[in-house]
Amino acid sequence: MAQQSKKSKSRLWFLVHSWLALPIWFFVLIVCVTGTLAVVSQEIVWLANPDVRASKPNDDAERLSFQQVLDALKQAEPDMAVRYISQPDGSHFALNAAVTFPDGTAPILYVNPYTGAIQGKSPDFNFEGFTRALHGWWLVPFTNGYSWGWYLVSLLGLPMLASLVTGLVVYKRFWKGFFKPTLRFNHGARIFWGDFHRLSGIWSIWFIAVISITGTWFLIQALLADNHITLSTEPITPVIAREDVPLSDSKAPVPRIDLDEATRIATTQVPGLDVTFAQLPSNAYGHIYLGGRGWYPLMFQTASVNPYTRKVDASFLVGDRSALEFVTESMRPLHTGDFGGLAIKLIWAFFGLLLSMMVLSGLLIWTKRTAQATAAALKRADRTPRATKVTGEAATEMQP
Amino acid sequence: MIFKAGRLVLPLLLLACAGPALAHNPMCQCEPVDGERIKCTGGFSDGSGAPGVTLDVIGYDETVLVPGKLGDDSTLTFKRPDGEFYVLFDAGPGHVVEIDHADIGEP
Amino acid sequence: MSQARDAVTAPSPLKQWWLKWRFHLNILLLLIPLGFMPKYFADAKMFRGESGLGANPIENIAVGPWSISLSELLAEAPRQDGPAGYFKAFNASLCSSCGSEVKAAYLRIGKPRSLRAAGTIFFGNPHRMSTSLPVPARTRADAELWITLEGWDGSLHQASVPLAKASPATLAWLNKQGGKP
Repeated sequence: MAQQSKKSKSRLWFLVHSWLALPIWFFVLIVCVTGTLAVVSQEIVWLANPDVRASKPNDDAERLSFQQVLDALKQAEPDMAVRYISQPDGSHFALNAAVTFPDGTAPILYVNPYTGAIQGKSPDFNFEGFTRALHGWWLVPFTNGYSWGWYLVSLLGLPMLASLVTGLVVYKRFWKGFFKPTLRFNHGARIFWGDFHRLSGIWSIWFIAVISITGTWFLIQALLADNHITLSTEPITPVIAREDVPLSDSKAPVPRIDLDEATRIATTQVPGLDVTFAQLPSNAYGHIYLGGRGWYPLMFQTASVNPYTRKVDASFLVGDRSALEFVTESMRPLHTGDFGGLAIKLIWAFFGLLLSMMVLSGLLIWTKRTAQATAAALKRADRTPRATKVTGEAATEMQP
Repeated sequence: MIFKAGRLVLPLLLLACAGPALAHNPMCQCEPVDGERIKCTGGFSDGSGAPGVTLDVIGYDETVLVPGKLGDDSTLTFKRPDGEFYVLFDAGPGHVVEIDHADIGEP
Repeated sequence: MSQARDAVTAPSPLKQWWLKWRFHLNILLLLIPLGFMPKYFADAKMFRGESGLGANPIENIAVGPWSISLSELLAEAPRQDGPAGYFKAFNASLCSSCGSEVKAAYLRIGKPRSLRAAGTIFFGNPHRMSTSLPVPARTRADAELWITLEGWDGSLHQASVPLAKASPATLAWLNKQGGKP
């Protein structure tokens, strides 16, 4: 009797597992595929577009400082305003300079880090932005708070977590699969895809857990933001007071320190600060905002330098985070895999592909199983004329 | 957007998303307490508080009647001045919220 | 197949509907990004600044010796930012020769009482800057939008334009609100 109930319970888990993604399998598949693409989108653009590559003019060329780059940009385009300069993760990428031209257009320029030459500007179709928007919020615009597409996608974290748990419950003694990997090629498609689904499943346990938990965090993050709740302990950096900005003797602006001076001040006063991006003041009362990855690569460290008084008015370092922030701030990089260079991205992309294949193989198993079950049910229906066509449909519904 | 202009940049840089920045607008609410005092609470629309930010009570003739700073709980309580006045939550140039005395009701 | 027999006896209409249409959920879900794609690309173009300054632009408003162009980001009613109230995003650009002389630009509904209370400051650069203007729900339909420009030498200049002209959608929203507090 106990055996019987255990069996029916496991059958129930099997049904739950089978049905978790099924009615929306194509949606789940596209989210997995676009997520995989988004992880390596920067690298895909690097392969496709020579403008974003940091080609060395000669072997002993040195990288320019941010101010030298800014000077080179000013010389090339005197009327252009620069908003920020940043070095993407990886020295093989060209610098990104966000600029605004006098006509109001505001592209990203790709700048050679050795020569300061403008190699090109961001194309009209932003592949990285598009894959991330499709994956992250299903292209639904943000009108008031988070887009409902964001909620739609991030809700998938929950069934994904559930399918991991039910999958492991159904797959009895799954740990044995690590020692005896089975992938039978010669027993037909149904057996092959079943083996594939189980084998890739157990090797992806950690990845599915990471993606589903961080995905669920995105749901929580949106819920918090839309309810105007912040978990941040980042100190408030007051804008520069009017008294602290000296008046000019002429109509011309008061001189402000340059980016290299700001970087020097910030890196000497804030130990451990690595500067890979520099944002110029967004108006006369704004700071020079500098930052880069901290010793804990999942987090950025930043400093706000007052361009008039030369003081570091605020900084936010890894050590300033609360225990809760360590968890919550780690969620996004864990999801996107962009915290440890190309190697981590490739691992994320590989398992992302595997996860997409699991959605497909799960579907293939289901259709094969169901097709057989339906055929069997129809055969029975022929023998018992009382049963009508509905029988077949019901069998489709109930057969795992 | 306001104070934490910097904080917004990171997600934008990282996600490179064309989505709009979620704003951090300054906010301030004032309400009368126990008949003759007024309690003002400042903060930002993301839920952050504003401890230490200037909050002045200014007469219509532009004289500062009550110069103040918000406490650690982001509030300031002061005696309701006579005559016409407004409350200015002043977090720096262009980061202000004004509340007219007529909008602070009687208890 | 006991379940099958149950299904024969009691196929509820809801269940039949679900059995028939369940996989069409995929199609519905796919229609969402397809439907939003034109909007996505239009927005991306707008954020690149290739759709002009914004909606309902008012060109070259003279402000003392300088001039500024003002435009709402989107032709729509103010949006609520939770407890902070309603806000309307505006873009502006300064005249090409005055960009270096203007230290800061502010926007406010109604004439500012002082420089401290000049309103909300613009972020960006002289070619394209933006701000988020608080719109109190009790704003009158004939309200003026005041622009304050502060020079590096300390000089101040102001000008105003009718809110109704700068943002007809905001006017419509105010009228619909009926001057509610």
